[in-house]
Amino acid sequence: MRILLVEDEEKVSRFIVRGLTAESFAVDTAPDGLAGFELATTYNYDLIVLDLMLPGLNGTEVLRRIRNADHRVPILMLTARDAVADKVEHLEAGADDYLTKPFAFAELMARIKALLRRGSVDRPSILRVVDLEVDRLSQQVRRANRRVELTAKEYALLEYLMANAGRVLSRTMIIDHVWDQSFDGATNIVDVYVRHLRTKVDEGHNKKLIRTVRGVGYKISDEADS
Amino acid sequence: MNTRSIRFRLTAWYAGLLAGLLILFGVSIYIGLGHYLRSHLTDTLTKEARQIGETLLVNVGLSGEAYVVDEIKEHFAPEINGLFLRVTRSDGSTLYESDSPKDASFDPRHVPAARLDLSQALSQVERLPGGVEMMICAVPFTPREGSRFLIEAGAPLTQSESVLHGLLLTFAVGLPLVVAVAVAGGYIVMRRALKPVGEITRTAEQISSRNLSERLPEANTGDELEALSLALNKMIARIEHSFRHMKRFTADASHELRTPLTVLRGELEAVAQRPDIPTDARETIESALEESERLSKIVESLLAISRLDAGEALMTRERFDLAELVADTVEQMRLLAEDKRITLSCSAKDAVQVEGDPGRLKQVVVNLADNAIKYTNEGGKVNIRVAAVDGQALLEVSDSGVSIPSEALPHVFERFYRVDKARSRQMGGAGLGLSIVKSICEAHGGHITVESTGGQGSRFTVKLPLDNADWVNHE
Repeated sequence: MRILLVEDEEKVSRFIVRGLTAESFAVDTAPDGLAGFELATTYNYDLIVLDLMLPGLNGTEVLRRIRNADHRVPILMLTARDAVADKVEHLEAGADDYLTKPFAFAELMARIKALLRRGSVDRPSILRVVDLEVDRLSQQVRRANRRVELTAKEYALLEYLMANAGRVLSRTMIIDHVWDQSFDGATNIVDVYVRHLRTKVDEGHNKKLIRTVRGVGYKISDEADS
Repeated sequence: MNTRSIRFRLTAWYAGLLAGLLILFGVSIYIGLGHYLRSHLTDTLTKEARQIGETLLVNVGLSGEAYVVDEIKEHFAPEINGLFLRVTRSDGSTLYESDSPKDASFDPRHVPAARLDLSQALSQVERLPGGVEMMICAVPFTPREGSRFLIEAGAPLTQSESVLHGLLLTFAVGLPLVVAVAVAGGYIVMRRALKPVGEITRTAEQISSRNLSERLPEANTGDELEALSLALNKMIARIEHSFRHMKRFTADASHELRTPLTVLRGELEAVAQRPDIPTDARETIESALEESERLSKIVESLLAISRLDAGEALMTRERFDLAELVADTVEQMRLLAEDKRITLSCSAKDAVQVEGDPGRLKQVVVNLADNAIKYTNEGGKVNIRVAAVDGQALLEVSDSGVSIPSEALPHVFERFYRVDKARSRQMGGAGLGLSIVKSICEAHGGHITVESTGGQGSRFTVKLPLDNADWVNHE
């Protein structure tokens, strides 16, 4: 998988490249809009990550030009501005997704994967981590073959963690996905729900699956405790 | 009619002034004319008296008194001309006295006796019994030989009085008529002159932070109103400029703050992912990550507030049922309350239609409910109520928690204000939640208030305009 990153801030560019490389992507970078546009039209990328504020040609213009050249490549816009009008404008101009800085790398990763997956029906009906099973059709959860009764919100939270098993999900991502952005102000709603989920899923089992990654968020995985 | 409007007041002043001036003018004409008529009568009478003396009495010694009497009757015919004539000898006896005039306007016998001691001509008004006023002019005359005579000529004042009376009548009818026409004309002229003011007012009322590029109509009349509209337009241009400036600043600031935050966070996360770092270093990094997360939240909140205050940042404006939104939101937060064994009740039965951004208003509910739960001790109560009261949508969040000290109440909506600094920080707040709530309420044309009584918790009350069309249906 080859990704083009158009970003003028060198440091931002550096850690994204590092993170994407670690996830086994091949990454090309362009430091300004013109170079980005040239690369985008020269090679076939699987995805383009495009910063909005660029020297030379700004992100909006690059987006327009790439779309005019009829490239169907998925484009994820990065921006340090979040005016609503901007967001709408760019989605209309052909951006596939939109991420506001600062973001958790996990969130960027999740969105990139979602865009790459789009179209393919890669949605297993049963999610499994060790002896924890989530059946998406019947919405039933089993741990070590015993039914676990969850409320609707707890189920949505667990399903989201399971679908991204092994990946850290930030509180913002969880709120956006399980609740909606409006709940961002509720300081500890995610923590309370995760705690309740833990008592139902992990209590009484030797292997704890739901993990807290301090400063970042939560993940579900079968790694050994660190 | 608005009695305080410029049009009304100017017209009233102008009408009053005009009426006053006309009355003053009328009074002076009346007095002047009366004076003139009287002095003219005096002159005429004096002249006649002198004429009798100089043409007839002068040679009375030669012609004899009978001749004089005949001549007076013939030349002056006082009875026909409505005159009173009397010639008195120096011993007080009457040489001649005219009879009653033909129109019987006065009775000569009632004219008081002559005053013989006069040394020079004298005219005065005599009031006869019966109310008739007469001007009597007495002229002493001494013929060439013989003793002197007193010649009196008089006429009733009725004639000049009737002229004055006619004048008064003309004024009484004419003045109100003239004033009425002037008022009507003035009102119409004033309305035409002030018409641009109405247009300016209407346009100015419609200009808000959302359409600052609009301008007032500029009447090219070269008058004060043109100057006013030009001045107002310049002011709007300055406001627009500073609004643009502020928006630009917000956009720039958000870019400048977010980029380093992105780098900070990305780098820290990358390090935290590495399995080979020592535990104490990991803890430091994780703590730094938490702080960068908090910093991001503060930046987000500040930008959200400044955008809301600049009249932006309402994603949509749609009609929706606030009660339903609140009930759903509260349901999603129930676990937060249960976690602290707090009884969370929500009364939102009847539909309350409002217009606005549901996402933003949901944020209001979340923040207020979260706040209430946070500051209520275990086993306490939080009650949320939505209703349409007095034509307004009311959202009330009350708790049985820690009450807010009265000296802190006016400040709770200020940015970065914390009632209990230590406690609030420990709970992860930055002191911006209530500021955002306030900005959202105001962006929706509403407002928020807080009450707190010692030991009985606090109550936050949000009032928003109802969506009127549905309000009528609802009733």
